[in-house]
This record gives sequence, structure tokens and C-alpha cells, in this order.
Amino acid sequence: MRLGERIWHALDSRLNLQPLVQFAKEKSVPRHRHDWMYYFGGLTLFFFGVQVITGILLLLYYRPTAEAAFESVQFIMSRVPFGWLIRSIHSWSANLMIAAAFVHMFTVFFSGAYVKPRELTWWTGAALLLLALGFGFSGYLLPWNELAFFATRVGTDMVSKVPLVGDWLLKVLRGGEDVTGATLTRFFGIHVAILPMLTSLLILLHLALIQRQGMHEPQEKPPLPPRPFFPNFVLRELMVWLVGLAALAALAAFFPWELGKKADPFAPAPAGIKPEWYFLFMFETLKLLPAKIFGLDGEVVGLAAFTAGGLFWFLAPLWDRKRARGEKSLFALLVGWGVLLYILSFTALSYLGVFQ
Amino acid sequence: MTRLLSLAALACAALALAAPPPRTVGAPGKPAQDQCTLCHRELEEARLRQPALLAAEDVHHRQGITCAGCHGGDPAATEPEVAMDPSKGFVGKIPPQKVPEVCAACHSDTSFMLRYDPNIPTDQLAQYRTSKHGLGLAKGDQRVATCASCHGAHGILPASDARSPVYPSRIVETCARCHADRSLMAQYGIPGNEIEDYQQSVHYQALTVKNDLSAPTCNDCHGAHGATPPGVSSVSNVCGTCHLTQREAFDLSPHKDAFATMEQPACEACHSNHKVVPPQDQWIGVEEGQVCGTCHSAGDPGAEAAEKIRHALLETVQRSEAVRQRVERAEQRGMLMDEALVKLEEAHQALVLARNDVHTVDPARVQARTEEAQMVLAKAEADAAAAEEELAFRHRGLKVSLLVILLAVVALGLKIRELEKQS
Repeated sequence: MRLGERIWHALDSRLNLQPLVQFAKEKSVPRHRHDWMYYFGGLTLFFFGVQVITGILLLLYYRPTAEAAFESVQFIMSRVPFGWLIRSIHSWSANLMIAAAFVHMFTVFFSGAYVKPRELTWWTGAALLLLALGFGFSGYLLPWNELAFFATRVGTDMVSKVPLVGDWLLKVLRGGEDVTGATLTRFFGIHVAILPMLTSLLILLHLALIQRQGMHEPQEKPPLPPRPFFPNFVLRELMVWLVGLAALAALAAFFPWELGKKADPFAPAPAGIKPEWYFLFMFETLKLLPAKIFGLDGEVVGLAAFTAGGLFWFLAPLWDRKRARGEKSLFALLVGWGVLLYILSFTALSYLGVFQ
Repeated sequence: MTRLLSLAALACAALALAAPPPRTVGAPGKPAQDQCTLCHRELEEARLRQPALLAAEDVHHRQGITCAGCHGGDPAATEPEVAMDPSKGFVGKIPPQKVPEVCAACHSDTSFMLRYDPNIPTDQLAQYRTSKHGLGLAKGDQRVATCASCHGAHGILPASDARSPVYPSRIVETCARCHADRSLMAQYGIPGNEIEDYQQSVHYQALTVKNDLSAPTCNDCHGAHGATPPGVSSVSNVCGTCHLTQREAFDLSPHKDAFATMEQPACEACHSNHKVVPPQDQWIGVEEGQVCGTCHSAGDPGAEAAEKIRHALLETVQRSEAVRQRVERAEQRGMLMDEALVKLEEAHQALVLARNDVHTVDPARVQARTEEAQMVLAKAEADAAAAEEELAFRHRGLKVSLLVILLAVVALGLKIRELEKQS
């Protein structure tokens, strides 16, 4: 008996793994014309895994204080063997993870996969996207460079617009009146402890729900035969992950993530301060709003509208009755395209400098 | 008779320079209590009310010296006739020619001034008498500045108070009250553009933009109480008070004797007097707009030396700028360039010393400094090149990895295709 088989038998005799293998052999996933859409959830998970590994490696050298943060990242990029690679991959993977999560969310929305019985999967997914944005926002400040510092100052300032508790929330978030070393330490704690813990729990729940309920089956006429989970789907997923890895390597090679200048809280804010791309549509919209709308602060109205819009999107399984009955919903389709076009156009126009 | 007159004059002078009578002066550190301010602040005529209102801030009044300390009279009397009785020494408005003596009555009295500050100077009157202002006043010119012209008459603030007209950053506007008046200055043979020129100078910039209170203003070169233009021979001494190393270098140069012979003011010949703008390396030379051309012309040894000096400086500056850009670019791309930045700073220091040695007008000395800078710059450049090579290596490595990953993707794709064909 070969060594591999012997190990398998030893494990199987103790853990009774045969039913699991049988389960994997029998498991299948649905197929349809656009089944590329199935891979973006897995791809998001892959990038999250990359973030966890590279994040842990960065933690070995990173120092979360205003005095040492920038220098420690500089040290990682210059003196630590392959530190530059780890940091560049961490930065790019963060962006790709959020991009993959957005694509995943829209594919789920357009395929109507969120309706009963998968409401909880949709809601946990939406919460995971919010956590991913939280990761992006808190991680952006950590290198303590000029752009990150001022973008965080602008970003956290939005919180102060929340009626009644805005000022208190701002102080809690910043750890004081302004963005300082206290903010950095706070963001670090959120980035490496609170968010990973919540995200891991929610991912487990999200995956458990998918496993329990199976993937959403689209209405195909004529129906396509399902695809075996193992090895066909797994190998396809692996290929997508490799493409993700190739995208990471390409971005790190052709657009190495730069460090910029160290933040100087006393320097004037440089021109053209912008948040990360995934916040741009909100940032530009708030900038376009007039100072006063119906006698209320324009930004407050804008933030209230975003909150209401986000809640409406989140509650899609409750208002989309047509899809729940298995019918086509023109309203849901219009909402989906409207939101997608709005986000894409505002982000693109911001990069083209139309709003300046 | 002559003897008697002389004795009377001496007595008067002694009286004029004597400290005020004790009844007009309270304890130091305690604000003066007098009837003068109580009545005058209620008067309707602004000219008479204003001094009483200013008294609360006045440095003298706050130190217990009443109005009578300067104006005479009885500060405790409630009746105007008694308070302002000429027999009690009341003099009312003090004429300009008397102002220096009135102030000096206390300010030249060392033992009196000791009560307020053990280190306070008491030679202001002596200095004033040597100044252009003091000499003019002695000749009966009442338009010249006296103590009150600069310090104010009432509400006098210490010079250390930022609101005082003699606070460093405000001195220029105080002097400008007269010296920017071209028609008034023309009567004294002064062009009247001095203030305008000074306001374009590096000194004024340092004082007003950088808030560097040690930067020179009018009184730092001309003197405060003994204000007078520095003579041609003393210009380098005046500038050298702060610019020590430049002065030492200049003293080593052949210009020192040549300028003295030609009666040219030293520093001013190239840097101007009031309009001292930041010096440029391009100034060196005999072409149009270059300062050496004032005395030298193309082909003479001075012009050749200037050419060598300018070339050495500009070459070093250019290289320094190019290396700095490479180092900063590498740093922005995430490389740790601390050592290269230290070397750039060293090169900058050597360049500063080279510019200082320009005052020796010795090309060999300047070139020795610039070569030192070039050597350090070469090391910083090597650091930048190494960082760039490391970045390029990373770039190549990632491209190779990308290729390997893409090959794996293709292989996996083929495998999947084969698998699905079979099933």
C-alpha cells in the first residue's frame, strides 16, 4: 500500500471521512448561460484569504503610532525580505476584494438570488460588504501618509453630520477632536481585531447558509444539467483564483503601490484629496449637493438619502414580491441598473476630473 | 557775572535732568494713583481726554509714575488751578526740543532706573545726541524725531509688547511715518525709497513672513537712539554683526582693500543696502545683470575668476537637484532613502560653504567646496541607482511570476476541458 493511501486509511478509520468524500462526489452546482457569475463570491473569499495572510505578515513589523507607522511601512518595503511584495499585494488585494464583492452583489441582485429562502444569505452578504468597506477605510490610514491622513480627516468629518450624536461619534471614531496618533491606534485596533472577528463569523454563516440551501437555481429553458462540484467546479474555481492571483501580480508589477509622503498634521491639505475609489460616488455626490436643501444642511440630507437608499437595497428580499413568486420584475431590474450605472458613472467621471 | 550765569545754567540743566520729585512717583510695580487721570477721563475735549484713557496701559503709569512725573504740577490736588499751578512746576504740553531731556530725567538716571530693571540701559540721551535726529534737534529743527515720535507720548508700551510701535516687526512702519514721505526726505537729501526697498528685502521677508524677530529691521543697522547711516567703511562691520562667516571670507579677498581704496561700501556694492534680495548664483559674472560687471569686464582676471566660480556653483546645484529628484522619487516608491537624504544634506552644507567662500573671490577655494559636494552627491546618486535597480528587479520578478501563473491558468483550463469532454 502506498504511503498516501495508508495515511488516508489511518485518518478515515478514525474520523469516518468516507461519507464526506461521498458527499463531495455527489454534490453538484447548477448551470446556466452566465455561470461565470458563480465565481465572484469565491473570488472575494480568495482575496480575503490573501488579506489575512499578508496582513498577519505585515503585523510582524508594522507599528501603529503616528511617530513610527510611516517609517515601519517604509522599513517593510525596503529592508524586510519581500516586504515590498507583501505590502503591495495587501494593498491591491484589498481593492480587488472590494471590487469582487461589488460584482458578486450585483450578480446576485440581477439574478434575483436574494428572494425567499435566501434572504439571510443576502443580508449577511450585504453586512460583509459593509465590513469590507470598513476594512478599506480603516486600513487606508495605517501607512500614515499625507493622502491617507487628509482623506481620513474628510471621511471621518462626515460622521459629525449625524444629527444629535454626530460630534460624539466623531470623537469616538477619531479618539479626540482631530485625526491624530490616537485615531491611528484606534483604526489599527478596528482593522486587525474587530473587523476580522466579525468578518470571519459572518463568512462562516454566509457559507453555511449557501451549503445548507444550495446555490440559487436560475430558470433556464431548456434546463442545463448540473455540474459536478468535484472536481469540475472546484477546478474552475481554482482557475478563477489563479486568474485573481495573476491580476494581483500584474497590478503589483505594473502599478506598484507607492508610499507617498509622511503625513504632517500641520501642513495644509494637498489639492485633490479623494477617498478610495469605492467611496468616490458618495463623495462626489455629497460635493455636488447645495449647502442647504429645504432649509437643512445639504450634506446631512445627502447622508440621510444614502442611508435610506442603502436600507432599501438591503431590504430587497422584502419588497421584491414578484421575483419571490418566480416572475420577472421590471422594477427590480430598473433599480439594479439605476444603482449600477450611478455608481459606475460617478466613479468614472470623478477619475476623469469632471467634478473638479 | 559770567560765573553766576554759568552756575545758573548748570543748575537748570541739573534740574532738567533730575528724576521727578518723590510725590509724583509711587512704588514700582503698583499703578499710579493720581487726580489727573480721574478728571481728564471725564473731559469732553478728546485731545485732553485721550491721555487719561491711555494711562491704564502706559508702562510708566503702571509702575507708579503719575502724569506729573513729566508734566509737573500736583497730582493729588482736586482743584485744576492747584493741580496745574506753574509754581508747582506744571509745564503742560512739552515742546519737542524739550522731550529728550524730560525723558532722560529718569532714563539717564542709573540709580533711579535701577528700581525698575537692573539691566536697563541709561545711555539713550547720549546716543540720541549723536544721531542725525539729535543733531538736527540741536540745530533747532523741530521736525526731527524725538523720543515721543517713535515711542508715543501717552500709553507708552514696553518695546517687548507686540503692540508697541518699536516692537521689531513694527519698527519699519514707525520709521516709515517720516522716511516714506519723499517730499519731507528730499529736504534732507534722502531719496525716500528706503522703506519701499527694505520691504522687498530678504530681511523684511524673514521678519514678517517667517516671524523671525531676530531678522534685522531699521534700528539693527542704523542704531536705535543713535540712528545714523553707517559710513562706507563700516558697512561690512554692520552686516558682519550677523553675517560673520561672509565677513571673514570678504576680509580675505582682494576686494577688501580695493573697495576701501575706491571708497566703495563693501557688502552693499553687490547686495544693495535696503533692497537686500536673496542672492543668486547667476549674479556672478560680468554679463548684463551680473554684479561683477560693475567693476570687471570680459577677459580680465576678475571676470575669469567669476566665470570659474559661477560654473562650479551652477554645476553642483544642477547635479544636486537631479540627484534629489531621483532620491525622492525612489522614496515615494517606498524605498528607504535615509542615508541618501543625509548625503544630500551634506552636499547642501558643502554648497552653503562654497557660496560663503564666493566672498573670498578665490575660485580654488570655491571649487574645493563644490568638489566636496560633488563627491557626496556621487554617493547619494549611487544609492538612488541601487534603489532604482532593486525596484526594476522587483518589476522583472513579478512579470516572471505573472507568466508562470498565466501558464498554470492555461494548463488548468485545458485540464478542465478534457475532464468535461470525458463526462
